[in-house]
Amino acid sequence: MNPFWSNIFRGSGYEATLAYFLSTVPIFSKLKKGELSFLESIVHVRNYKADEIVFEEGDIGSGMYAIRSGQVRIYTLDDHGHESEQATLDPGDFFGEVALTASRPRIASARTTEATVLVGLFRSDMLDAIRKHPAVSAKILLGLTRVISDRLHQSHLQVNELERERGQS
Amino acid sequence: MNEQSGFSRAQIVLLYIVLTAAIASGISIFSSASTITRLLNTATDGLFLPILISLIVAFLLDPIVQYFEKEKIGRTKSIFIVYFLVSILLFVLFMIIGPQNLLGMMKSLKGDFPRYFGRAVDFFNIQLSTVQTHFPFVKDYDLVDKLRGSAEELVGLILAQTPKSAMRIGSLFLLVPLFSFFFLRDSRRIMRGLISLTPNRYFEMVLDIYDHVSWQLAHFIRGRIIEASIIGLVVWMGLSLTDIRYAPILGLIAGITNLVPYIGPIVGMIPGLIIALVDLGMGGQFWWILCVYLLIAQVILDNFILIPILISRVSNLHPLLVILAIVMGGKLYGVLGMIIGVPIASIINIIILEIRQYRRTFSPYIRIVSNRDGYG
Repeated sequence: MNPFWSNIFRGSGYEATLAYFLSTVPIFSKLKKGELSFLESIVHVRNYKADEIVFEEGDIGSGMYAIRSGQVRIYTLDDHGHESEQATLDPGDFFGEVALTASRPRIASARTTEATVLVGLFRSDMLDAIRKHPAVSAKILLGLTRVISDRLHQSHLQVNELERERGQS
Repeated sequence: MNEQSGFSRAQIVLLYIVLTAAIASGISIFSSASTITRLLNTATDGLFLPILISLIVAFLLDPIVQYFEKEKIGRTKSIFIVYFLVSILLFVLFMIIGPQNLLGMMKSLKGDFPRYFGRAVDFFNIQLSTVQTHFPFVKDYDLVDKLRGSAEELVGLILAQTPKSAMRIGSLFLLVPLFSFFFLRDSRRIMRGLISLTPNRYFEMVLDIYDHVSWQLAHFIRGRIIEASIIGLVVWMGLSLTDIRYAPILGLIAGITNLVPYIGPIVGMIPGLIIALVDLGMGGQFWWILCVYLLIAQVILDNFILIPILISRVSNLHPLLVILAIVMGGKLYGVLGMIIGVPIASIINIIILEIRQYRRTFSPYIRIVSNRDGYG
């Protein structure tokens, strides 16, 4: 098609918006459009350069991050100060979600490996939202619970598996 | 060529010129900077009070606005609802007191004020003369004349400033609702914008500290204002039981001065006591008024009921700091500064305390302990 017409009949560009990106994050996947635009108003978009520390092990955590673009490395330090990598996260992934519910020290460090855009949702904004918009907040927190309980389920199965293996050997 | 100094003549001349130019430009920058600060001073001269009051109003109205703010009712709409309700409330209050009553009170107070002051000075004079009969060496101090002089000065000042302050109050009625509307509506956005400027590494910390500080501040300011209005109301009620005149105004004074700890209540008591002495004499009613001021308002209500409920002890200031804040506030903004100096000092105190507490939980020692906990 002629670029002139394709420009006119182009979609609204919804795929490029922050709201669309948030809907791709598993925690927020069940939210409707209006709720997503509310979520959009309480998150913070942060730009990171390559090799910038997002948080370090032991920091007081206050919220979760979702990766909009770029890459983040999650690692822990052993006693000798060597990094041991836990995971490498790509766009659409999220991390640090445990700190959203209560201020716990971070159990791992996070660092960007390239120029990265992170979308942060923090506890103070969440508490505010719970007071003012309980319905949406309940949905967000339900999504969070779903993800965390999925993970708990997974790790429970893994523990069972490992115990069975140990019993066999 | 002058080899000994290491500079050629042209270089020395150049150096001289450069130095002169540097000094001259430094002086001109300094003078223009002081001109700019003076201009800024003039431009923001009348704005300090409206902005402060509208901040306080915004803090006070914020919980009510939040109460109305729901999914269906936006923030702006709920602010309008609150404004509407508040204006109705003010109007009703105004009608209850009665505009005629209020105006008459103002007029008669203007006439009575010098009389009260003169009588107070006379009373003091009599007391002094009895003191002088007992302690003759006090005679050398010409206290009475000094007091009378400064009192007359004060009265003159108040009379001279009345038209000016009337205009100021008029502009306040216009500016405060406007400012507080925008503070209420956009404070979140403004603060989000400011916080988003912090570097990534400290972002979470700043966000958390801001959250704590703003909660504490809202709590503190709300508590102080509610405390002051309850005290004012109780004093008004208590004084209304006697024959004393100007009970509403005296209640207002007691409420406002109650914002200043330690010294405020005593100062707020003086006008009431003077009026009681002059009009009613040293009878049973005088003792009842003293009782209302001291025992009921201060000891029972303020110390035992209001302060423990409304204001946490954390925000208590050291008495020395209170006096310093009063003196410094007075130097900066006169009588108004004396009243708001202490609250502002406590606000700074709260901010410092919160940051310190946050840093303590952020310290490396805690980090090690929490790591140990995390890994068992």
